[in-house]
Amino acid sequence: METKKLTAKDFITIGIFTAIWFVVEFAFGMLGYLHPYIVAAYVVLLPLAGAIPMMLFYSKVEKFGMITIMSVLIAIIMFVTGMGFLGAPLIIVAGVVADLIARAGSYKNAKMIVISYGVFCSWICANYFPILVTAKSYRKDLLDSGFSKEYANNLFRAINSKTIALLVICCVLFGFLGAFLGKSVVKKHFEKAGIVQ
Amino acid sequence: MKRNLDPRAKLYMLFVVSIIVMLSATTPLLWCIRTMITMIPIMLLIKEKRYAWALRFFVLYALAMILTFFVLGSGSTGMWKAFLTGYCGIILQFSPAFITAWYVIRTMKVDEFMSAMQKMHVPDSITISLAVVMRFFPTIKEEYGCIRAAMKMRGSSLAGGNVWKMMEYRLIPLLFSCVSIGDELSAAAITRGLGGKVKRTSVVVLEMKSIDYLLMLFLTGAAAVFVFVKYWV
Amino acid sequence: MKKNIISMEHVSFCYKGAKKGLLSDVSLQVKEGEVLLLCGSSGSGKTTLIRMMNGLIPHYYPGEMTGEVRVKDYDIRTTPLYELAGVVGTVFQNPRSQFFAVDTDEEIVFGPENIGLDPEEIKRRERDVTEEFHLQKLLGRSLFALSGGEKQKIACAGVSALLPDIILLDEPSSNLDLRSIQKLRCVIEKWKRQGKTIVICEHRLWYLKGLLDRVIYMEKGKMTKQWKGDVFYTLSGEKIRDLMLRPLELNPEWMDPKGENVQGAFGKEKREGGKYIHFKNYFFTYKRHPYLFWKKRPGGMEGKSLQLNIPDLSIPVGSVVGVVGPNGTGKSTFLRCVCGLERDCRGEIEAYGNTYRGRRRMGLSYLVMQDVNHQLFTDSVASEVMLSMKEKDEGCCEHILSNLGLLEYKKKHPMALSGGQKQRVAIASALAAKAKLLLFDEPTSGLDFAHMVKVGNLLEKIAKEGRTVLVSTHDPELIAMCCDYVLSIENGQVSSLKKVENKLQWKQ
Repeated sequence: METKKLTAKDFITIGIFTAIWFVVEFAFGMLGYLHPYIVAAYVVLLPLAGAIPMMLFYSKVEKFGMITIMSVLIAIIMFVTGMGFLGAPLIIVAGVVADLIARAGSYKNAKMIVISYGVFCSWICANYFPILVTAKSYRKDLLDSGFSKEYANNLFRAINSKTIALLVICCVLFGFLGAFLGKSVVKKHFEKAGIVQ
Repeated sequence: MKRNLDPRAKLYMLFVVSIIVMLSATTPLLWCIRTMITMIPIMLLIKEKRYAWALRFFVLYALAMILTFFVLGSGSTGMWKAFLTGYCGIILQFSPAFITAWYVIRTMKVDEFMSAMQKMHVPDSITISLAVVMRFFPTIKEEYGCIRAAMKMRGSSLAGGNVWKMMEYRLIPLLFSCVSIGDELSAAAITRGLGGKVKRTSVVVLEMKSIDYLLMLFLTGAAAVFVFVKYWV
Repeated sequence: MKKNIISMEHVSFCYKGAKKGLLSDVSLQVKEGEVLLLCGSSGSGKTTLIRMMNGLIPHYYPGEMTGEVRVKDYDIRTTPLYELAGVVGTVFQNPRSQFFAVDTDEEIVFGPENIGLDPEEIKRRERDVTEEFHLQKLLGRSLFALSGGEKQKIACAGVSALLPDIILLDEPSSNLDLRSIQKLRCVIEKWKRQGKTIVICEHRLWYLKGLLDRVIYMEKGKMTKQWKGDVFYTLSGEKIRDLMLRPLELNPEWMDPKGENVQGAFGKEKREGGKYIHFKNYFFTYKRHPYLFWKKRPGGMEGKSLQLNIPDLSIPVGSVVGVVGPNGTGKSTFLRCVCGLERDCRGEIEAYGNTYRGRRRMGLSYLVMQDVNHQLFTDSVASEVMLSMKEKDEGCCEHILSNLGLLEYKKKHPMALSGGQKQRVAIASALAAKAKLLLFDEPTSGLDFAHMVKVGNLLEKIAKEGRTVLVSTHDPELIAMCCDYVLSIENGQVSSLKKVENKLQWKQ
């Protein structure tokens, strides 16, 4: 009895994978406190690290809405942990578009999934939105709230309105790369073990 | 029955604190408001008899405050000072939201959360998924603990410094057990009627009491003053 | 004549992606109020049958199904799962994964809330269930802090609160200790008295004596034998072993052999090279002293408040020692401390003329966990074994694998293997790591008779090759079969160490 609509089972799966995604992201996010360049390197790290669970996720649900709901959850979690709501629209739009792309390949076509994941990864740039939109006051805020000048300078050297386009592209490209690697890991482990077909 | 805050008031608190956290404080008055708002969840933790955590959060916050304002002056240079300043900044910046989130997640029951979300007309898809996210953090912690123990027994040479391998060895067993737990969890939940067409009821009676309104009013006021002072004064 | 409440007509089923069908042409009628046991070795289709009664097949587990299943006038094929919630209740095998809520009281009312009952009614049911199952002490606690037995009790209560007519239990005792199993029996007794129809699928048979109306034996997806409940329990021991079932009765001596306490005897021959392994200063507590920023390491002075209090213990090298005692008395803790997983425990191991402290304990000992899934990291059995070796030696790896009967699975993914095979992979990597002291935490929970005998023989074999085995278990059969000594732990202290005089001889 397979239906096209999402069922309670799918909601639970979405919840579980969002939790895993968040834990992975949190673990890497902590690295950002070491050096501002690592904050910029999120665009490389997160798409690669998140690819394994996401590729498994794609093969577990295969229904429209899975990524949309996940993106809404991520937006909520980001907001609650103090990352602001400026990025929320981007996160959700990225989620919906990624969902549509994956649906175009009926969640089976490997190429479409790779593209879909790349697009989905562009939400990571939402982390930088507070830095961009309010660049001047944000810099002042950073300094006032105790960040060192060095940190702020480095941060702005890496992330500004000129580089943001590059960062988005990075996200997407590394999303593609991550998707390939993730796919191969899923194949190496989960398909071989018979967990997914 | 012990009377707790209404879950909606807690969610509202989370919402307001998250907004304030986004805007950083620049003047002493703003710092005052921020600190006041940080003290609310800490006080609530004390009320819940979670003294150890309340004290830990308080000391953390106070320490960061003291270091920032009295020990490290602005324009401090040098590697260690820069680091320390950075960390204190981060703690001051994010800890209000973190403490509040910790308080809300630890004290809100899944049942309360689900009926509050239902009352606010949030669709089931979001409610169920979010409830699972909340329930799953301790599970991930447990599973990861077991995996770490297993890795320790295999010796630290397991990955040999290979970052990708290190991640693989941690993530793959974690995913395997999370997937199987998830399967069993949803089977058990569905056989007990989750996701049916009937409207879910709840034994939790949600009722906004004066204390809830008071808290919300106070938070709204604080946020309003904060925004006003920051942008218009 | 009571009417049939479950009726299955010529049912066959094949899981999606599986080559062979798991059930073939099964017909089964269950009468109202009947208590039915499904037994048989694993893979015989018991669980599949249960899944058909609660509708998880075909609605949750996809596959090909033929035939008709009717449960209390519902056609399982066309009834959505949530409509069956108030009709059929299921208690699952794994107490860890069947909870949706975080707190006990929410978990009990979770089902009734889902089917939209009136809150007053739900509260009334919660009160009834609490009283019936004596749950007062467990209410309002976090499920993550409960023991397996307590969790299973809450699961039973959660099912009971839905007031289903039919209750299915899928290997409910798998993760329970003897005491909790007795309590589970009481729960089933209560349900029987309330006139519920009960279908149990189980490997442990002893605790169900006197409860069953009918026993069905399954073999390779077919029902091949049937007995009346009381007749089944008169079957001879040989007959039961021929059927590859676990024993119908337990001999109390299996857990507590008659021999004298030899705990002190080995201590005298201390430091005599290579004959004994000495454990020293094993103290540990989970209940840390109220601390805020640092914890105090437990020492021997605190006495009774410790979860583990073993100042001195010696066991002979090359023996299999069964570690017994009720849940929560420190068996698992002891094993974790021995191999150095609990960093706060500063115990030492003296063996082979050396003293092992801290991390070095891990080189000497290796724990095979209850959930072996956590211990498997790589994508093939061979590389899993190689991972444990400091110098990769393929010949040695093949030797170990062939010894454990795993050679044909060399290239397979460990997670694709059956539970028993996974366990052997974990053992293989322990051997590859040259561990001299092997620890097993509940290696036979949820295993059928044939697999249990296999594990038992394997433990003996490992010990014969000169290694020492400590195995914590709730299965008296396993102890009777393979253990040389029984170490009983009570309240964290060694209460006795006794020699087993006559081992049972069960052939595979």
